[in-house]
Amino acid sequence: MLAILKKELNTYFKSMTGYIFMASLLFFVGLFFVLTNLMRMSPQYNSVLSNITFVFMLIVPILTMRLMAEEAKQKTDQLLLTSPISLPKIVIGKYLGAVSVLLLTLMITFIYPLILSTMGTVNWGEVFGGYIGFFLFGSALIAVGLFISSLTDNQVIAAVATFTVLLLFWFIDAIISSLPADQTSGLIFAAILAAAIAFVFYTATRNWYISGGIFLLGVLAVAAGYFIKPSIYSGLIAKVLSWFSLLSRYQDFSLGIFSISPIVYYISFSSVFVYLTVRMLEKKRWS
Amino acid sequence: MIQVENLTKRYGQHLAVDSISFTVETGEILGFLGPNGAGKSTTMNILTGYISATEGQALINGIDILEQPEEAKKMIGYLPEFPPLYGDMTVSEYLDFVSDIKGITGANRKKNMEKIMDLVKIGDVRGRMIKNLSKGYKQRVGLAQSLLGNPEVLILDEPTVGLDPKQIIEIRNLIKDLGKDHTIILSSHILPEVSAVCERVIIINKGKIVASDTPDNLSRGLGNSSRLNLRIAGQEKSVLKAIQELHGIIHLESLGVREPGTVDVMVEADPNVDLRRPLFHAMARASYPILMMKSMDMTLEDIFLQVTTQEKEVR
Repeated sequence: MLAILKKELNTYFKSMTGYIFMASLLFFVGLFFVLTNLMRMSPQYNSVLSNITFVFMLIVPILTMRLMAEEAKQKTDQLLLTSPISLPKIVIGKYLGAVSVLLLTLMITFIYPLILSTMGTVNWGEVFGGYIGFFLFGSALIAVGLFISSLTDNQVIAAVATFTVLLLFWFIDAIISSLPADQTSGLIFAAILAAAIAFVFYTATRNWYISGGIFLLGVLAVAAGYFIKPSIYSGLIAKVLSWFSLLSRYQDFSLGIFSISPIVYYISFSSVFVYLTVRMLEKKRWS
Repeated sequence: MIQVENLTKRYGQHLAVDSISFTVETGEILGFLGPNGAGKSTTMNILTGYISATEGQALINGIDILEQPEEAKKMIGYLPEFPPLYGDMTVSEYLDFVSDIKGITGANRKKNMEKIMDLVKIGDVRGRMIKNLSKGYKQRVGLAQSLLGNPEVLILDEPTVGLDPKQIIEIRNLIKDLGKDHTIILSSHILPEVSAVCERVIIINKGKIVASDTPDNLSRGLGNSSRLNLRIAGQEKSVLKAIQELHGIIHLESLGVREPGTVDVMVEADPNVDLRRPLFHAMARASYPILMMKSMDMTLEDIFLQVTTQEKEVR
């Protein structure tokens, strides 16, 4: 795992990608620091970090597009997969490689709060909280990028797809607020969800009976839920979609509220996508 | 050392490998022959744990590659069809990385690397970026990678592709040397290579084993006649007539005039009859000098073509 991590870091800083990522992030942090902190004479450093989230979403693909796609394209995955190292270790090594580049960049930006502290009072607890939040938020995005990179052997496709998905995450709060919240639409949504699960099962097993059974079971459960407690369907769509609302969890950190639930959320979100990447690579070997 | 039982790989409807079974003894060099798309690389990819078999199992030294992949992979060095190289690493960085992921540690690590670089003769490019190397060097770096950690089993997919004739001979000799203390499976579609290096040959076609034997046995078993190619100075008709009178001739054919005043003849005789002496005496009596006499044994090429095109079971 350490070998993979070392190799990833090496590749980032031997090719231009690591530098490009760092340069663009540092440039925008510096820019927002000057604009919000220096020009307006504000000691609120966290507003810089939250301003930077959108820029960060745009440049995450630089970091992640290569991870799995390039190995598949150059057939170097053959070396990794036939060496005595387990698949989860390979994936985690790669993930940590990308995450360390982010960590390194964030450590450099720490200069700015230090500069700020020479000119005024900085609330260090708030700044540290903001950094932890930003790092976890970034790690979650990188996990998504890692997973998408494992779906293709083309870096450009991986980058564009990652970009699209992250953009969707960006807009998801706006989407949620304009969705219908009544019980009927929640019910329909639940039924569609059951159908989707059944379909996923069908693609995995190619068995009509099992997936049909799952669909029927799902519909029955949905219907039963409706008769027992119809209120669970009001606002269901928003509830489900908010699982993917990465940004809303970040708000707490930037406001200086330090609570455990967004930390758990980000770590589990990342873990799920790292796990999905492992599953994806495993599946490729069986197909 | 290697046991393969009913190995099958299906890609959707396409059957890439169709229940192949074979064993390789310790210290044996096995040649894998087959036309493109016969399933050679697929079989090797399954043996090394890169892809999974649909059915059947592969045991390396008694360890199932699917059930205990990490244990089994420790014993295998693999050179895939396209050497898995990172272009933006230097040769020594690359070998360092491979040593890392193979878990080679300790004092011997450096020595092992140096020895292998010597063996495949890449010491002079150790500081160069891999992407700037020629195909031959890349191939040798790939080979070096498979040798790292001194695995007991070597699986080499077309190891001499892209090398020049001198390097090919060097690598072949190297493989022969390695065969003394390694078990090797080697695929190729260069037939002289297989007959020069391998102790046993498996010919596969369309995912099935069509022949499996030593190269010598294969050429002997298939030839049901002995053939001679002759160039004789003399009139075509009278020469043919003189040969026709000999005993044991199955088939006689003129190949035409290649050199003025001579004729080329192909003689096919009963395998139990050695025609060369009677031919000499007969021609000497008739004073037709024999300018050339060549025995036309069935080469691996002929066997290969025969078994892969006629789909005939050879044993």
